[in-house]
Amino acid sequence: MQNSSYHQTTASSSTSTDPSASEKWAEKLLRECAKAISEKDSSKIHHFLWMLNELSSPYGDTDQKLASYFLQALFCKATESGDRSYNTLISVAEKIHSFDTARKVILKFQEVSPWTTFGHVASNAVILEALEGEAKLHIIDMSNTYCTQWPTLLEALATRNDETPHLRLSVVVTAAAGGSVMKEIGQRMEKFARLMGVPFEFQAVNCGFSRLGELKREDFALREDEAVAVNCVGALRSVGIKDRNGFLRVIHGLRPKVVTVVEEEADFTSNKDVYIMCFEECLRFYGTFFEMLEESFVATSNERLMLERECSRSILSVLACEGDGGSGECERREKGNQWCARLRSGDDHFMPLNFSDDAVDDVRALLKRYQAGWSLVTSQGDDAFGLYLAWKDEPVVWASAWKPSS
Amino acid sequence: MHGTLELIHPTEQWDCTPINFPVTHHGSERQFAGAELSDFMEHVARQLSDNSENTADGFSMESLSNEAFTPSTGEYRPRKLARTYHHTSGSDGCGHAEDLQWINGTQSENVSTMTYKNNRSNDHDQQGLSLITLLMECAVAISVDNLEEANKMLLELTQVASPYSPSCAERVVAYFSKAMARRVMSSCLGGTMLSPLVQSKSILSAFQAFNTISPFIKFAHFTANQAILEAFHQRDRVHIIDLDIMQGLQWPALFHILATRPDGPPHLRMTAMGTSYEALEETGRQLSGFARRLGLSFEFHPVARKPGEVDPAMIQTRRGETVAVHWLQHSLYDAIGADWKTMRLLELIAPRVITLVEQEMPHSGPFLDRFIGSLHYYSTIFDSLGATLGCEDVNRHKVEHWLLSREISNMLAVGGPTRSGDERFGSWRTELMRRGFAQVPMSGNSMTQAQLILNMFPPTHGYTIQQGDGTLRLGWKENGLYTASAWTSPRLLR
Repeated sequence: MQNSSYHQTTASSSTSTDPSASEKWAEKLLRECAKAISEKDSSKIHHFLWMLNELSSPYGDTDQKLASYFLQALFCKATESGDRSYNTLISVAEKIHSFDTARKVILKFQEVSPWTTFGHVASNAVILEALEGEAKLHIIDMSNTYCTQWPTLLEALATRNDETPHLRLSVVVTAAAGGSVMKEIGQRMEKFARLMGVPFEFQAVNCGFSRLGELKREDFALREDEAVAVNCVGALRSVGIKDRNGFLRVIHGLRPKVVTVVEEEADFTSNKDVYIMCFEECLRFYGTFFEMLEESFVATSNERLMLERECSRSILSVLACEGDGGSGECERREKGNQWCARLRSGDDHFMPLNFSDDAVDDVRALLKRYQAGWSLVTSQGDDAFGLYLAWKDEPVVWASAWKPSS
Repeated sequence: MHGTLELIHPTEQWDCTPINFPVTHHGSERQFAGAELSDFMEHVARQLSDNSENTADGFSMESLSNEAFTPSTGEYRPRKLARTYHHTSGSDGCGHAEDLQWINGTQSENVSTMTYKNNRSNDHDQQGLSLITLLMECAVAISVDNLEEANKMLLELTQVASPYSPSCAERVVAYFSKAMARRVMSSCLGGTMLSPLVQSKSILSAFQAFNTISPFIKFAHFTANQAILEAFHQRDRVHIIDLDIMQGLQWPALFHILATRPDGPPHLRMTAMGTSYEALEETGRQLSGFARRLGLSFEFHPVARKPGEVDPAMIQTRRGETVAVHWLQHSLYDAIGADWKTMRLLELIAPRVITLVEQEMPHSGPFLDRFIGSLHYYSTIFDSLGATLGCEDVNRHKVEHWLLSREISNMLAVGGPTRSGDERFGSWRTELMRRGFAQVPMSGNSMTQAQLILNMFPPTHGYTIQQGDGTLRLGWKENGLYTASAWTSPRLLR
């Protein structure tokens, strides 16, 4: 292997050059590496992978973590072992994820950060408003937050209305969780509803890990007299890119009163054929996410570690796998304005619903409960609808509400 | 920080009568001298490849079949063989594989020797132990260059083991798997002969934290200082050569006692060697300032070179001065350069005393030897930290991540901790003896120093000092970790 000039400098100045002493060193090195990969420059690829290997650590500071997880993805890309590695990682994750660990992680995450609760609060407000006065409610929940959204809604149903409506909850789990998790979730929800005095029915919709795109109307066992709300939190992105519009049509066919969509504000779709652009977006998004995690959790948090490891699988799938975003191989995120375009297109399209002042107040009140750095941004412009959660002024999560065209 | 600890003025003439001690590694029954360890690992490997039947004779590592390494998709129960561990645990349930007893599917006759002090089935401990199993299998795969299999196991290990776990074993596995993943990738990249990158600032900060939460550094410093003090007895012009000074944490205590000597302070010269000129200059500034405040006549000579790479002419000794050379061995980076050249330098300098503190694990030899040796060594240190500090303790994390993990990475790297492929001595004590240096037994005063240090670090019942063969060894429970010894140059013997 040839010595690049960078290495000559390092060797001769007897290690007085510490590349990791400069700010954001990881992004710089990763960028160079990705560039080398897209240019197929073998010796440069080796050089940067080697440096990243020296400096990275999944247990160090944010730079080291980014270096570590992105290194794994870039290495798999360079050695074309992404799909194999991803499959191993997913099967490991499925084995070790119990309901208890998943619940512990998400509850802790919700305690220190509004990342997921933002979408919950916004969606619940809209759902309650849209289903006001209905006696039989059917919420179809496709989310990756293990039903942590619903206790608050159940409480609202129990306390707000004179006549507590009957609630049926159909849950499609989109995370790598598995059947045993669903059973536990169902039992917990039933228990909670009983405590709240809300007539309740729980239904698990069988769906393999991220086979969301294959769901059909029949899978939801709809009944005549119920008012339907469809709640998609972090779900649409696990539908294959080619299947997304079709999936939205299926949702349309359920004739819901309201559809809530919450997604993370990143675009790994429109640029998927230009490696370096996709890489940059990936680095931007996860750089922000990891920084947020570091500032929200204590340094030795196991929960944060699990969230980071989950990210590492996503990073690997986006940067090293060949799938186009279907059957669980890839979570190709799209930004709010991209989802808007999809939702508003075609014969079976949707119309945006505005968030009421009460809903916006609810969200603002939520953000006050967390540390500084978080803010609410209402969308500007004709093409964008919904609310954005921003971390240090950068929009990170998008929440929106829709109703089907009649 | 050093205020409460005082070196002891020697009252008698320094006894440097050469004593020829046979150098043995006493204490633990586990030996890491080359041949025995390799036998042990071969035995382990044989156990791993047996599928409840004994393989034929002529066993070799290369013949490990793929069957033994059926790719697991996440089973963390020990597979195929019943493996039990001689296991002791600290008060918070931290597990530690002290002695690995491999049993081929049947109950061992030694059941009675296995004491599980903590009988409650602690999930973390179970997880930790089964992870160690997988870790060892991974190490064997690496040792036979089966990198693909190793990588697969590492994908599992690095997703499961947490460095923040209450289980010390799991923390150890987290860092060992990280080190092995790094090694596997570096093997794939083939760039093993490039000089490794050293992150000085974070190392120094972690080193200081280690000095605070653990007695090992102070033990090294104070026992060595005591031996140096004794060698400097009634000498007016003294010269200390520190082969890897870092921040020079060791020296203020010695300066203090030299400055307040009953027979008056000596003129002190210090030659400091290290990796970075900037760091050396800063250390020099600190030490010079300290010496000045003590009224100690002091000269500082920084040499930004490794002892094994320096031109001996750069190390100047003056006639009439008494020379002490000091070295605290570590695996954070290659501080020494070529061992044999360093030895040559020592012979040329011919110091009155060489104070040496060695880590009790093999720094050279085949990968598996280093793996087993360092697994044992670092498990012990992790246990000692876990006995007093909670699993969320930030200093503990700092030390484990920035210091110990770095050492583990280097120990397991291709070419070992030097990363240079140079031949390393198995044991410096053996080598010094072989070159004719005479051992100076660590005095009763040094032992007293060691005891005083231990009294500063609860739980004192955990740390142990062993005295024997003229050395002092500090360890945790029955496992020795650092051995301090002193030597004198053959040329100076009268």
